[in-house]
Amino acid sequence: MAADDSRQAALCRLHRIDKHFGRTHALRGASLELRPGEVLALVGENGAGKTTLMNVLFGLIAPDAGGFELEGREGFFADAADAIAHGFGMVHQHFMLFDDMSVLENVVIGAEGPGRLGRIDLAARAAEVTEVMRRFGFHLPLETRVRDLPVAARQQIEIVKLLYREARVVILDEPTAVLTPQEADALFSMLRGLAGEGRAVVVITHKLSEVMTHADRVVVMRGGEVAGERRVAETSAAEIARLMVGRDIAPVEKKTHAGTGTRLALRGLLCAAREGERQVGPVDLDLRPGEILGIAGVAGSGQGPLVETLVGLRPAESGRIELDGQDITRANVAARRAAGLAYMAEDRMRSGLAIEASLAENAVAGREAQPPFARGPLRALGAVADFGRDLIARYDIRATGPTQRVAQLSGGNKQKIVVGRELSGTPRLIVAHNPCWGVDIGAIRFIQDQLLAAAEAGAAVIFVSSELDELFALSDRLAVLYDGQVQALLDRGDLETGRVGRAMAGAAA
Amino acid sequence: MIWDATFFESIPRFITPLLLAALGGALCHRAAVFNIALEGMMLIGAFFAVVGSYFTAHWLGGIGAALAAGLASGGLYAWFTVRRGGDDIVVSIGLNILAAGLTVFLLRAMFDQRGQFDDPAIATLPRIPLPGIDAIPVAGPLLSGQSVLFWLALALVPVLHWGLVRHRLGLRLRAAGDNAPALRTLGLSPERIRTLAILASGALCALGGAQLSISNVSLFTEGMSAGRGWIAVVIVMMCASRPLWILPAAVFFGLVDAMGVRAQAYGLPQQLTDALPYVLAIVVMAATLRRATLRVRI
Amino acid sequence: MSRARWIVPLAALAAIALIPDLRAIALGFLDGAFGGRNMFNLWSTVSRASILLGMAVGVLVAFRAGLINLGGEGQLVLGGLAAALVGIYAPLPVWAIVPAAVLGAMLAGGLWGMLALWLDRGLKVPLLVGSLLLNYPAGYFASWLASHPLRDVASGIAQTHRIDRDARLPRFDGTILDYGIFFTVAVALLVILADRYSVFGYRLRMQGLAPGFARAQGMPTGRLGYQALFLSGAIAGLTGFTAVFGFAQRYVDGMLTLPLYAWTGIVAVLLAGIVPWRVPIAAALFAVLATGAGGMERVAGIPRESAQIITGLVILWLAGSGRSLMRRRGE
Repeated sequence: MAADDSRQAALCRLHRIDKHFGRTHALRGASLELRPGEVLALVGENGAGKTTLMNVLFGLIAPDAGGFELEGREGFFADAADAIAHGFGMVHQHFMLFDDMSVLENVVIGAEGPGRLGRIDLAARAAEVTEVMRRFGFHLPLETRVRDLPVAARQQIEIVKLLYREARVVILDEPTAVLTPQEADALFSMLRGLAGEGRAVVVITHKLSEVMTHADRVVVMRGGEVAGERRVAETSAAEIARLMVGRDIAPVEKKTHAGTGTRLALRGLLCAAREGERQVGPVDLDLRPGEILGIAGVAGSGQGPLVETLVGLRPAESGRIELDGQDITRANVAARRAAGLAYMAEDRMRSGLAIEASLAENAVAGREAQPPFARGPLRALGAVADFGRDLIARYDIRATGPTQRVAQLSGGNKQKIVVGRELSGTPRLIVAHNPCWGVDIGAIRFIQDQLLAAAEAGAAVIFVSSELDELFALSDRLAVLYDGQVQALLDRGDLETGRVGRAMAGAAA
Repeated sequence: MIWDATFFESIPRFITPLLLAALGGALCHRAAVFNIALEGMMLIGAFFAVVGSYFTAHWLGGIGAALAAGLASGGLYAWFTVRRGGDDIVVSIGLNILAAGLTVFLLRAMFDQRGQFDDPAIATLPRIPLPGIDAIPVAGPLLSGQSVLFWLALALVPVLHWGLVRHRLGLRLRAAGDNAPALRTLGLSPERIRTLAILASGALCALGGAQLSISNVSLFTEGMSAGRGWIAVVIVMMCASRPLWILPAAVFFGLVDAMGVRAQAYGLPQQLTDALPYVLAIVVMAATLRRATLRVRI
Repeated sequence: MSRARWIVPLAALAAIALIPDLRAIALGFLDGAFGGRNMFNLWSTVSRASILLGMAVGVLVAFRAGLINLGGEGQLVLGGLAAALVGIYAPLPVWAIVPAAVLGAMLAGGLWGMLALWLDRGLKVPLLVGSLLLNYPAGYFASWLASHPLRDVASGIAQTHRIDRDARLPRFDGTILDYGIFFTVAVALLVILADRYSVFGYRLRMQGLAPGFARAQGMPTGRLGYQALFLSGAIAGLTGFTAVFGFAQRYVDGMLTLPLYAWTGIVAVLLAGIVPWRVPIAAALFAVLATGAGGMERVAGIPRESAQIITGLVILWLAGSGRSLMRRRGE
């Protein structure tokens, strides 16, 4: 191993951790060492075991085998409280905050300090938190409810929470997924400062550019094992990618085949806002057949309302939506689908699938009342099952059969049902909202290829994603949303991280 | 005359059970436990208050038995929801049915009575006279000579309000309701805090039941809670579980109860006045929930 | 663990067989549920099972669509009341009375059910609470009618006059079981088949499992909800009709509420895990439990409310056994 030279300096060490979940071998002898003063990147695919390993570290999961050593002390933490007491802190990908409580309450809960009969001395705690924030250069309004703060500020609360508890080990799970590139840079320079004071910093990520720019050391996990460990100075992004996947991944082949004419036209489209929401729109866009329009933006910039309005789940306040020249602004979901709309919902588990229903029942949803799946008011169960089997074969879905409950399938296989259902019947307009989120790399490639093929066949595609990499790979044009507005509309040739990042932050591109 | 001393004297008696049960329900709701077994917990409290009071011939015995039974029913609820992962609504339905059956069963098994049990040996709660206020026209009958539970319920309103904001348990209770997994990552147990909330709601509902059976009267009748637990659920929902809002809401429904009883004396059929609180509950909920200030967690 | 599972019931059976008092109680239970002179008790069990089946199937329709309708009691009562009004007062030829009463009962129950959903969707009163609260005005209104304006004063108790003799549902020869059971069984069969074989049943089910999904796939979720609640209430109303035109032959105050038919119907659906074909079995089980408890009371003086206690405990135990009794929205 390349990093043996600094062994002495280890703060703590996970040793040959093994863990099974049922028949899944989640961790296979994985070892990990954390060193003070260092920023460590932990990378790997979905399901590579990163999260499980961190849960073992925090005492949330008891491993089947292996050891843990902290400053000469052997034995795993009993629970999260034990880990926190020993100076371990973690910022989860989905923030662990209490939305209806104030920033101050979020920071001090669980560490409320002394107080007679459990009373909390809020003034004293506020002074302490203010002091912590001053030391590390944070500016957060202590009395504001978390619900009313932007995402970047929420992440800062999480970090202040750790610093208030005097964490020596700071672990962040996918911390930049919700940030603009500029915000991400600011975060990493702050983390560098924390490491400089002697803390051990671990960043779990799948963005190799971040690893190469900001980390000192990188540990790559694959299939529950540590596939490799390198000093960043001595490796390359290509090598890390190879370690992650176990083979070379060819880049997506993108050809432009946008046709002529207008498939979709949005004219001053204003999405109806629900209570407490910012307004989204007005949006003006044109889409040609065969064109893929990427939509980028920090989470919560208006992607959700825009997509819902496009597919008919949310009314338009004003403006027009035209599909092939036909006004569908007031049409309901069923009418839009009949006109050729396909929709891959972001929330796969609730909106994309009925996970308690069978594979075949999910596969025919939306066309359940049409032949061949129904004869009059009655369902044609034979045709439904046939279609399920057909989908399993064509999309290589790992399932026991059309009657298997969807809940039992893996994330990638679930999403294949969605993609297969929506792409069967040659759609004219595809609205895909984060279709590759949370699936393994093989399925990601499959889904991307399917979208490209559909575009080649003439469908217009609206591709909303939180991953700049895949947006850059697939888009013919890219619209950047900021605060409910199209901040920039860039052609494929103009796609460049700095420009898109500035637009995501609300500046001119 | 409708607005006589008897009327004012009756108002707090109707407010107290609603207030106690609603406060208990609010604690659960704040911790994201949708406890709609308030009705059953009240019924159990009402019955065991009579049992304790009858056998010890002292009101404290009644309160003690009601509290014990209330804690037991809360424990049962907590066991099946928090420990065994049962659905709040299903467990509530089960507990309500169990309470209805158990009280009637025991009424017959213990006292060999059907429908109702009254006995001179049942001691009632002491009334607290307020010398000096007695003589004032409206405030006198309203405040003087009310039961200890009335004053306890009133005192709990600011206490619980303060506790939810300024006490570490209150903070953790709200946190458990807001985002239980997040509480767990802090090394704290949402299960424990929920159990505490459920136990407290059992005790409070049982005290509300005791007010019904050994303060307002000194007897137990089958189905004595008569839907008050459901009105309490309505109060919890329309007040978004805020103790300070629950007080006026409980006063409102207490007044409706009191006026209904009054109206019967003037010849209005009992069935129609009995239905009034439920109709009003729907109307008031529609009026308050429309602005969607409350995200009901069910 | 697996051994403990059958040791308990086995030990219970052994105790019942060996201890004379327990044996007497058990025999009392069996006699109460299945015995009696001319099998009187058996027929009354079947009669009760018919009512419970009707109530359970009504609840099933709503629960399948993910709509927690706890308003079965009000829907049942108003259905029974409407049937009684038609049966007693409508100036109709005899042959038209039953169809008119069925229609009236189903309309009354169905509209009361739709009202609960309208309160939810239009006014944001959660269905669970709104439907439950609607039970009380319905119940008190029926009680007032039966004890004041419509009262058969001569009878001395709070009840209406009798239904016209020729319009009553006939009984099976030599039993107390009336033809009402044809209605409830037919409805149950229809619902069980429609759940699996009709597009409507499929859509209801999808909406119940994942409302966001049903909407995103373009199913008419707004209409479906009202249809489900109307059907649910209408089936409860029809059940009220069978009780009024069947065993009671009139509307008696409390006849539909005191036996907790609506709650037992809900419990039966939960016990069945909201699976249609299991619902009739669960309904029959609770009918046996109730009449059997009556038998235990007669032979051993154990109050018949033991049935309610067991019902409550069964639900608690089921809820805690981790079976998915109610598929919760979200999470």
